[in-house]
Amino acid sequence: MKTLDDLRQFYNTTLICDLEGLERQRRKIVQKVTYVIVGAVCVAVIGFFFAMQSFQAAAPAIIISLVLCLIIGVVLYKILIRSYVAEFKSVVIERIVHFIDVNLAYSPKSCIPKSTFVLSKIFATKPNRYKGDDFVSGKVGATRIQFSELHAEYESGSGKNRHRHTVFRGLFFIGDFNKHFTGQTVVLPDTAEKLFGRLGRKLQSLNISRDQLINLEDPEFERHFVVYGSDQVEARYILSTSLMARIMDFRKKTGRKIHLSFIGSMVFVAASYTRSLFEPRLFRTLLDFEPIRQYFEDLQLAIGIVDDLNLNTRIWSKE
Amino acid sequence: MYIALGIAVVVILIVVVLYNSLIAKKNEVTNVFGTIDALLKKRYELLPKLIATVKVYMEHEKSLLEEVTRMRAQAVSGTLSDDQQVELDNKLSKMLGGIMVAVENYPDLKANQNFLQLQRTMNEVEEQISAARRAYNAVVTTYNNAVEMFPTNMVAATMGYKLKKVFEISEDQRRDIDAEKLFKS
Repeated sequence: MKTLDDLRQFYNTTLICDLEGLERQRRKIVQKVTYVIVGAVCVAVIGFFFAMQSFQAAAPAIIISLVLCLIIGVVLYKILIRSYVAEFKSVVIERIVHFIDVNLAYSPKSCIPKSTFVLSKIFATKPNRYKGDDFVSGKVGATRIQFSELHAEYESGSGKNRHRHTVFRGLFFIGDFNKHFTGQTVVLPDTAEKLFGRLGRKLQSLNISRDQLINLEDPEFERHFVVYGSDQVEARYILSTSLMARIMDFRKKTGRKIHLSFIGSMVFVAASYTRSLFEPRLFRTLLDFEPIRQYFEDLQLAIGIVDDLNLNTRIWSKE
Repeated sequence: MYIALGIAVVVILIVVVLYNSLIAKKNEVTNVFGTIDALLKKRYELLPKLIATVKVYMEHEKSLLEEVTRMRAQAVSGTLSDDQQVELDNKLSKMLGGIMVAVENYPDLKANQNFLQLQRTMNEVEEQISAARRAYNAVVTTYNNAVEMFPTNMVAATMGYKLKKVFEISEDQRRDIDAEKLFKS
């Protein structure tokens, strides 16, 4: 497993040379974006005067000019940064992925398909707005993995009553599990039991959208997670005492809300984030180690799941 | 009159719910116990294959292998009580652990593909048995809680339900497997 020191060395010896070229490109774009902002403000002011003449009132004139300014600004901004983002992903993100493990493939515009996301059964709500990017796939030791950033939302109502609810936003990981099994087991963050204690557990057992509640013997694990499964024995076969401890450590290490499911001899892990991942920060210099460290840690979180959950241990009949 | 009738209906309903929940818990215990039984049978089926593979290599542990064969025959004969069966399974687990440790002394055996596959399957069955025992303990705890806690304890008493024992690891099993000692005995 690569450490932060290894990354620092890689950054100082290899990555920095390519970053300098990209940094020049970034500065040019920032300059262009500044022109766009100034231009958009000018359009807004001119638009305001024209609108004032037509409507003879300030309120609609301000609204029209602001909307005009925003549309022009956003469209031009997107066009300007498109090539830079593509360049950034191939120079920075792809290089970091290969630095962590050379056997992994990176595809900036792909993501885990929606059907797979739904198949994982982690989230009971089916999303109707779904997007993602930064797809990584390959083999880490004996374990085949893939993951990507995802943003799944559910849109309810229509017209003025339209609301969007986030189903999941963050990193979604799929790995080949080291044991054979046929049923399904879902491990979710526990909120009901934390809030209501025994009553919470009773409520969980009545959850009709899930399989039967599995009460595991590790009280610490039970405090943080709730487990539903189609088979009491199989759920315990998957969630051995050592795997429970590993999941607890993983949760502590990442400090994120972790959801897991075990279906079709695969393990699905969803780590929630509130920010976008692997995206360039246009108004911040690239010649700084800090953002690089962040990209590395986000990637390492997903790739490291293989070690964190000990997926490469193949002492059972599955090879 | 109607109030008394209403109270009677509610009381009957409560008793029915408690009665059914107790039956469900008892059946769950029987169900998981059945799973352990099925997994133990799976282990018995694997044993002859394992012994046939290792006995070609293991010169010094012939008596141990014969003992395992004898125990297996005893286990599948169906003449043992539940307690005897559990005791025999525990002994068998210990002996199998010893065989797996002794394998370290036979590099040829360790490289044998057939043995490696068997070893993986054995590991899998052992882990499944351990999972089934944990599941058994969990359902027995839920059942025992219902038998002891108010108000289900009153219904349980009239139904004649008694507390059930959970699986416990004996002192003997808690100690690490000492292969050398095992073969000497």
